[in-house]
Amino acid sequence: MSSLRTPPTADRTYDLGFARWVYQNIEGGDRVSLCMQCGMCSGSCPIGTAMDNGPRKLFMMIRAGMKEAVLTSNTIWNCTQCYNCVVRCPRKIPVTNILQGLATVAVAEGYAPAQPTAKFAKAFWTSLKLFGRTDERIVTALYYFSHGLKEGFRRAMENLPIALGMVKGKRMHLGMPHRAKGAADLRKIIAKAEDIEARERSKG
Amino acid sequence: MSGAKKYTFYPGCSSQASATHLDLSLRAVAPKLGVELEDIDDWNCCGASVGHVEGGTLPQTALSGRNLAKARQQGTQDVLTACAACYLNTHGVNEKIKNDVRTRQRVNEALSAADLAYEGDLRVRHACEVLINDVGIDKIKEQVKKPLTGLKVAGYVGCQTVRPFAGTESGGNYDTYDQPEFLDDFVKACGAEAVPYDPKTSCCGGSVSVYNADKTLHLIKKIVQAAVDAKADVIATPCPLCQQNVEMYQDAINKKFGTSFKIPVVFYSQLMAVAFGLDANKDAALDRNMIEPVKLAELAKK
Repeated sequence: MSSLRTPPTADRTYDLGFARWVYQNIEGGDRVSLCMQCGMCSGSCPIGTAMDNGPRKLFMMIRAGMKEAVLTSNTIWNCTQCYNCVVRCPRKIPVTNILQGLATVAVAEGYAPAQPTAKFAKAFWTSLKLFGRTDERIVTALYYFSHGLKEGFRRAMENLPIALGMVKGKRMHLGMPHRAKGAADLRKIIAKAEDIEARERSKG
Repeated sequence: MSGAKKYTFYPGCSSQASATHLDLSLRAVAPKLGVELEDIDDWNCCGASVGHVEGGTLPQTALSGRNLAKARQQGTQDVLTACAACYLNTHGVNEKIKNDVRTRQRVNEALSAADLAYEGDLRVRHACEVLINDVGIDKIKEQVKKPLTGLKVAGYVGCQTVRPFAGTESGGNYDTYDQPEFLDDFVKACGAEAVPYDPKTSCCGGSVSVYNADKTLHLIKKIVQAAVDAKADVIATPCPLCQQNVEMYQDAINKKFGTSFKIPVVFYSQLMAVAFGLDANKDAALDRNMIEPVKLAELAKK
């Protein structure tokens, strides 16, 4: 991971259009330009120590145009969405929402194929599109086995006591998935929303 | 019940799975408090905290758009939800549709694919905010038939129930972000003791804990340890994901950190159901907790 302390050299690439792109295309992204680097966000983060770059540093990297480093940073994936930074930021920057927007871009542009969050999100979205609702059993199974058959079984066995506890407490139902009758309608709405975003992207 | 106020209810996916005990107990206490809940007809998932990652920003927004459009067809009464993530998404999208013309246009264009429309004229509210602002603590106290005398409760609020909306006008200005008091007020109204509890709004890791718990077990450990240190009999929370994470990972924490935690984690509405003298299992759903809330179950038998 490149550090901001290292002065830029000829072999580092800075995409100076990236900051502008974030300002214009990420929800709340325009407020990144207001960041005064106070560090309230990183200091308030419950999991900041696990991040390679805290939000404060990540925002400076956005402004420096370090697209590659930003979109491969684990900051995006470690965020637990506690919104501490959002309510505390003196410049009212919606930090969490910006990280969410960056997560979407990172996945769409292929920066995060192996990220657990991306795999989990894929499993989640599959259930959502099929049934209109989340089936926790299906999401969990799809996610476990997205790591391969062997690892899938290992995870399933490791978490078996939890699953059995859920069944016993009638918190994991054993029949067909619950579904929204309008799941097909929901898929139409999603497809239309995807079309709108694609249309906007092509206009630049 | 006469004089009941009607709300359109968004139960959310966890109400049919990991948080059936929140759903059951809330539906049991609501009529006692003059709250009538009518479900959104054929509601869908809100996308929780990961939908945007795979689905994209506008598709995620449109999920709540459909729920709101369906809710609006049932009238102009406020929409109520008890799940932190459902509230965050549904309320957040509702405010965007209300205040941002571009979002309103884009969501409506997407909704038109299913002949739906929504102009942003509803209010979306968290169940706890409604209990504080519409029902009031006094009315909760009035319903108590079996005070939970002697029960020590650590009130764990979590994050998204209060952040980022509790202190905003649209969020009902019902509490603070760092030291919210509403949960302790519920506990005390039920006749239980609210023990001093520091990590009230510490994060349990949210969905990261669900799929990558190794990263976040230390966060949950802090939440449980403080409750044990305060000699609490039970941890109470309003959030489905907090309830699940803090309950189901205690064994994993014990294994990793050499602790011996086994403290029950219940919903505030389960406390209320017991205190209101309702059935321990049918209404309070105490048999659905993976760690049995022994002391609360004993109080229910009295």
